Amino acid sequence: MKELYRQTDEVELVRASIDGDKFAFEEIVNRYRKMVARTVKGMLGDSVFAEDIGQEVFLKLYYSLSEFRGEAKLSTYIQKIAINLTLNEIKRRKRFFPMFSRDGKNELSGFDVADFDTEEKREAIELVNKALMSLDPKFRIILVMRMLQGYSTKETAAVLNLPLGTVLSRLSRAREQLKEVLKKL
Amino acid sequence: MKRSEIKELIIGSADNDADPQNISRRLEDAGVTFDFSKVFNEKVISKLFTTVISDDRELEFTRNLNFVFYRIALTGIAAIVVLLISIFLMEGSISFNSFIGLSDSYDESIVCLLTGI
Repeated sequence: MKELYRQTDEVELVRASIDGDKFAFEEIVNRYRKMVARTVKGMLGDSVFAEDIGQEVFLKLYYSLSEFRGEAKLSTYIQKIAINLTLNEIKRRKRFFPMFSRDGKNELSGFDVADFDTEEKREAIELVNKALMSLDPKFRIILVMRMLQGYSTKETAAVLNLPLGTVLSRLSRAREQLKEVLKKL
Repeated sequence: MKRSEIKELIIGSADNDADPQNISRRLEDAGVTFDFSKVFNEKVISKLFTTVISDDRELEFTRNLNFVFYRIALTGIAAIVVLLISIFLMEGSISFNSFIGLSDSYDESIVCLLTGI
């Protein structure tokens, strides 16, 4: 059954999932888990919390599948859920755990070293993570969309529901901040 | 990939003129990949479908209970009707005493029956 769904298009997968077909939904999870991981872990750092938010993204997706009208791509729909839940989590932490938050920056960036097969890869991901975590969440999300998801500025503006001008100005400010931060790293 | 190259890519991603797809692909080649744990899919599916299964079980139990009750109720009514007919045929009338099997007993005989004297 799982094999059957490997080739199935997403409209069919959505329909089958709404009918309660768990294999169809598992295929959706399988197709988009890395995309969600890039957004969630790029924003929150690699932690158990990121894993929980990732799960929540797919739970929310499952319960809102009937509202998905197919006008946008499923990936965009999932991406928006992931962005909303991640930003909500950052806000929640700022509100409830202000002592762990410094100038709006998230402090959860502990990567499990055992996950990386080479020192070079570990260093690369650590550098990206430190650079991202040094930014304010509103700049960080734009960088995550461009750097990790490969979205254009227009696509980033659309998925974040922001005017193009706002994205451009945030991008420019983020660039200046990154230059400063990366000098020290 | 050298550290300086990765830094360039990071800064480049904030450049509107840069090609973000090329940057993300090159970073991925350098090992900047993100994924969840191996049991991620299982966790999501079990969270969703164990609840659904337990709801299904509850529904099935209620449906079975209704079905069994319906069968028992019908059989019970049929048994009561047969009992009333047989009492009517044996006694010639249907009274409460005959229904509970005390039609030809006196109070004394009940005392004897209960005490064994």
